Formats: sequence, structure tokens, C-alpha cells
Amino acid sequence: MSALEREISPRVNAEMLPKWIGKTVRLTCKLLNFDSESERSFRVEASDGGQVVIQAINTGEPFRPDDIYLEVIGKVIDATTISMLGCIGMGNELDMKLVNDTVILIHDPRFFGKMFSY
Amino acid sequence: MAFQLSTGSCEKLQTAPQNDTSVYEAPHTLQFLSVKKVHGATASGTPNQPPPDRYRIILSDGVHFIQAMLATQLNHLILDGQLQRNYVPCRLIIVLDLKVLGSMEKLGEPIQFGASEESTSGGADRQGSLPGAGPTPAPVASSSTPAAKPAVPSRAPGATQRSRTSVYPIEGLSPYQNNWTIKARVTQKSEMKHWSNQRGEGKLFNVTFMDDSGEIRGTAFNMVADDLYPQLQEGKVYYVSKARVNLAKKKFSNLTNDYELGLEKGTEIEEYNFVPLSGLEQIAKDGMCDVIGVVKEVSSLSSITSKATQKEIPKRELTLVDKSGFSVRLTLWGKQAEGYDAEENVIIAFKGVRVGDFGGRSLSMVSTSSMQINPDIQECYDLRGWYDSQGAQTSFHAHSNMNAATSFGFRHEELRSLDDVKQAGYGMPDRPEYFSTRATIMHIKSDNLSYPACPGPNCQKKVTEQGDSWRCEKCDKSYPAPEHRYIMSMSVADHSGQAWVQGFNDVGTMVFGMTANELLEIKERDEGQFNLVLHKAICSTYNLSCRAKQDTFNEQTRIRYGISRIYPINYREEANYLKDLLYSPWSR
Repeated sequence: MSALEREISPRVNAEMLPKWIGKTVRLTCKLLNFDSESERSFRVEASDGGQVVIQAINTGEPFRPDDIYLEVIGKVIDATTISMLGCIGMGNELDMKLVNDTVILIHDPRFFGKMFSY
Repeated sequence: MAFQLSTGSCEKLQTAPQNDTSVYEAPHTLQFLSVKKVHGATASGTPNQPPPDRYRIILSDGVHFIQAMLATQLNHLILDGQLQRNYVPCRLIIVLDLKVLGSMEKLGEPIQFGASEESTSGGADRQGSLPGAGPTPAPVASSSTPAAKPAVPSRAPGATQRSRTSVYPIEGLSPYQNNWTIKARVTQKSEMKHWSNQRGEGKLFNVTFMDDSGEIRGTAFNMVADDLYPQLQEGKVYYVSKARVNLAKKKFSNLTNDYELGLEKGTEIEEYNFVPLSGLEQIAKDGMCDVIGVVKEVSSLSSITSKATQKEIPKRELTLVDKSGFSVRLTLWGKQAEGYDAEENVIIAFKGVRVGDFGGRSLSMVSTSSMQINPDIQECYDLRGWYDSQGAQTSFHAHSNMNAATSFGFRHEELRSLDDVKQAGYGMPDRPEYFSTRATIMHIKSDNLSYPACPGPNCQKKVTEQGDSWRCEKCDKSYPAPEHRYIMSMSVADHSGQAWVQGFNDVGTMVFGMTANELLEIKERDEGQFNLVLHKAICSTYNLSCRAKQDTFNEQTRIRYGISRIYPINYREEANYLKDLLYSPWSR
């Protein structure tokens, strides 16, 4: 496929992760807790309620985001783990149902690629 | 001496099927809560005899109460003074006469709880079905009451404190009940017929009333006919009560009912025309209608000074909601407003309220309107059931910007792009005036941002400076300082085009985030900051509810767009709306 396609990072929810293993995706999610032992991974809840473990970047500093809602960009390791490449704060209020509906719409064959960019 | 009432009796008596004689034969211990004499209607089959007096009693088993009629054979017990209020008869219900328990009332509303033994009989509002037991242990259907009484499914009338009793099925009408109301449609109305014979002359007309249970004929004579003929119309539904129930003259009618209604002077016919709130938009402004809904909110009492009479009129606003998912404001005036104190979430039926177009659609009581709280009719029960299960959570649409000739609200469905508006020629004669759009402010004309206005209550007239004070012509008063109000000309644009619009005070307040007084102050103080404020205001997007109007000056006719309402964008709402659109059939 074209090089452009390798750079895409579409938004997904937890259910879709198995289809995107090995690829880069964006997960809009809510922070649940930190895995305090390693301080490198933390749990989040995706827009459809599924729980995912995010492995943070090892910068030597603990990862402490300011916001409850985040958009994590990362590579899918398996159906419940994402290895984080970047993170965007989304504030403390987000309508997750709306997000989920939008994510589903994005992947709808009618729209994917045509209406919603990657 | 205390007696033990047989609790559950009332319930059993009402719910037992017709041929379950065991219920009827068993003794029940009940208390008579009230005994009332009811004048019987003509009993057919016994002509030339005065109709017997009948007694209606209310029985309580401590848990429920029900109504019953006393068999005429037992009338003597009353007369002898044996059965009086609160008397607990030992020998029981075998004593009661029977109207066969027909269908339970459709709703199955819980029967009101009777009070304890010293109870009052107030509030006997719900219909009870009459309990049955023949004077002999014979099965109910063939009770040995005089042959003249047919076994007819019927319901006892509710307490008649209200103007409307419970609604009967037409099948339940009989000469023995004279306190009934039916709700039926006029399926046929005859012409006014005149006759003359040796006995004299007169005129009459007939109607056929129909409801779910059956049909019945009604006849009105002479003067009554004159009154009712225009009032009753084919196809419409009416509540009829207090007509005389007579034996049908089969010669004149081919309906199956044994009875017919004689419509008389005292007969009440009420038109029923409850409109679901969503349908209010179909009714023209200033039209009258009836509505029924749950009162979701009650505002506190406020008052308005009538400009015409300079009098203070108290008013109160209610917010009504109903199954259609819409809400509407209804205004009560005067005494009704003051006297209103029903609790929340009551259901009120309004008759004859005027439809206005304030804020989309609004309702207002007029002198001829009437209201009934928690009326005893089908729609009320439906609403109660709906409200208790889902209504309380639903969020309601208030009526807003409807097609053409109305109002102020913002309607997503009718969002127009600016180019659309121009092409369609909004504002020209014969074109709709109001539209909704979403646009971004590009430029604000800064030379004429505001005008000095009268600070008096409710007055926005321009005041003129006279020396040290400002005078308002309308209020005839002078003020030391005016209250500045915005009046601004802005250029707005969207993806399709651009337009100049005019906005007033509310627009300015939202766009600038401060009052006109404050803005002017900044302007005088610090020009730089003033420019900054202006600068910040542009490039922001709003939902606008606008009105287009044609203006002519100096031979030039232009269409001016004025902003009626301005709303900031709620991304969540907008996104939801877009999402709905994508899920809708439109997107397939």
C-alpha cells in the first residue's frame, strides 16, 4: 500500500483494537488509574467502555497527565495494550457516547476515507 | 363494639369473574360508608308506576372502597333506619343488588384506599365496579332481580364533586344510572325534521354517537334541537352527560342498542379536542384549543402592568409537557394565577385556551377557558402512566421557530446557509421571514455601536440629552445618565456567502461579553483596549435566529436581516446533531 497509508492513525475504540494490531491508532479515553509499580503503564477506559493498558514512554519521569480525558496515539500491541507514542489532553469533560458514535461512524465503510480523514 | 372487616373483600368482589359464585356467596363484612338516595330513572317494563327510589352505598373493607346499589327489596332497611352510616351489617352482601361486573375499567388504576373505620367517604373518585351477589345464591348473570333490570356491564359513577364523572362505555348506559358521561364521536347527524300532526307540530334531529363499546342514538326536540344542531358536528368527539336514557323506539332507528338518549335542556355536551403539544404548531395563532399535559414547572407569581389599563395583573407561567415530547408555556392570569397551588407533576386539562406565538408557541387562559386538575379521563391516565415511566426523564423540545410566520427560536432542521437565504429571497413579500443560520462574524461597524436608552423599567426608547440630564419622551422623565444599548451592524459569513445583519442589545452583550455602558467607557478611556475588544469579537461563530424584512428608502428596496436571537455554539449539541444526521436515513 502507499506510504501515506502507513502514516494514518485513525481513532478507534477498544473493540476495534484487534483489527489494528501492529498499526498506529488514536484512542480517545478516560484515565482510570496508574499502574504504580512500574509507573510506566496505566489503565484507561475507551469510548465504548472497554479497558486498555497504555504503556507510557520511558523518559525517566513518571507520566502524569493533567486531564482526565486523553487522546493516546500509539501502536497496538494486542487487543488490550497500546504502546504510547504521544498523548493529547482533552480536558475534564467529554461526551464519551458522542465520541463512540463518531468513532463508529468514522469506520463505517460509507465514510471511511471519504468523509473522515485518517 | 368493634367489628372486623373482611379486608380484600372489595378487591375480590371487583375482580372475580362473573361466574365465580363463591366470592359472591361468601359472607363479607363491610362497612357502609355512605348511603345516598338516588332517584331511579324510569324502569321499563313497569309502566304507570312511579320509579322506585334507589340507594347507592359505598362499602369499605378497610383497604378499599367500592360502590354498590342496594336492591329495592332492601330499601326498607334504610327506611327502617337499620342501615345507617358506619353501620356494619352482620348479614352481608348477599343483601346487595347487583349490576354485573362487566369489564374493569381499562386502566387498572389502583383503587383508592379507603380510610379506616371512622372514615370519611370523601375522595371516592375512582370507579369501582359494582360487586355482585344476587339476593339468592344464584349465579350473577341470572340474578333474580326483576326482569326489567338487564345485566349490563357498567361502572358506578365516581363522586360528583367534579364537573366530569368518569367516562362510561356506551354499552353501559341504562336508565338506572343517571350520572354518567360518555365520550363518543358523532358518526351521523340527520337533518332537522319538521312534523305536524293533530297533536301539534315540532322539529327534531337525530345523531348517532359511537365509541369503542357501541353506538347509541340521540334525539333532540324543538328548542333543544335548535341549540344543539349547530353544536354537534359529524366526525367530532364530544363528552355527553345528563341526557335522558330512554328505551329505544325501534321503529325509528335501526341501531342495536336497547336504549337511546333524549337530549334535553340540561344535557351537557362538551367538545373534546385535545391537541398533542407537538401539534400545536398546526394551530394558527389566536386559535383556541384544548390541551392536556403534565405540569413540569410552575413559575412564581409575577405581575405585569397592563399598558392599556395601567393595572397590575398577576400572572403565573406553567410549563406543560406531554407524550409528544414537546413542552409549552401556559399563562394563568388573575385569580387563577393567585389561587394556583397544585403540587408538581399534576396533570391538568385545559379547555379553550388561546394559542399564541410567543417563543414559538404559547398558550394563554382567557375568560372562557377552564381547567381541570387530574381529570378523570382516559388521556389523564395515559399521561400519568407515560410520565411516571419515562416522562420525567425525557428532555422536551420547546416549540421554536416553525415554518414561516413565527418566532424566535433556533431550529436545527431549518438551518440555512447565507447564500440560500439570499437566493430564496427571504423577506420579500410572500416569502418566509424567519430563518436560522450559523455564521461567523467578520466585521463589526464601530462607528455606531450603541445609543443612549432610557433606564426606566421596560422602556428602551432613545433619550435626548438636555443639559445635564437625559430625557425620555415616552416615560416623560429625566435621568442623570442613560443606559446605553447596543445597536450594531455586522458582516457575517459562512461557507456560502456573506451578509450584513443588524443586532440589538443582547447580541452586543454576547459578542463583546460586556454591557454597552462598559464598552463605551473603555472606548473613552483607552482606544487601544477598545480595538482589542472589537478584534476579539470577530471570527467567532454563532447560531443566529434571524428575521428578514424589506425596507424601502429613496427608491431603493433592500432586504435587511435582523438578529432576533443569538446563541453561542455548543459543540456537543452540534456534534450530536451531526451524528444523528449521519445515522439517519438521509445518509444512506
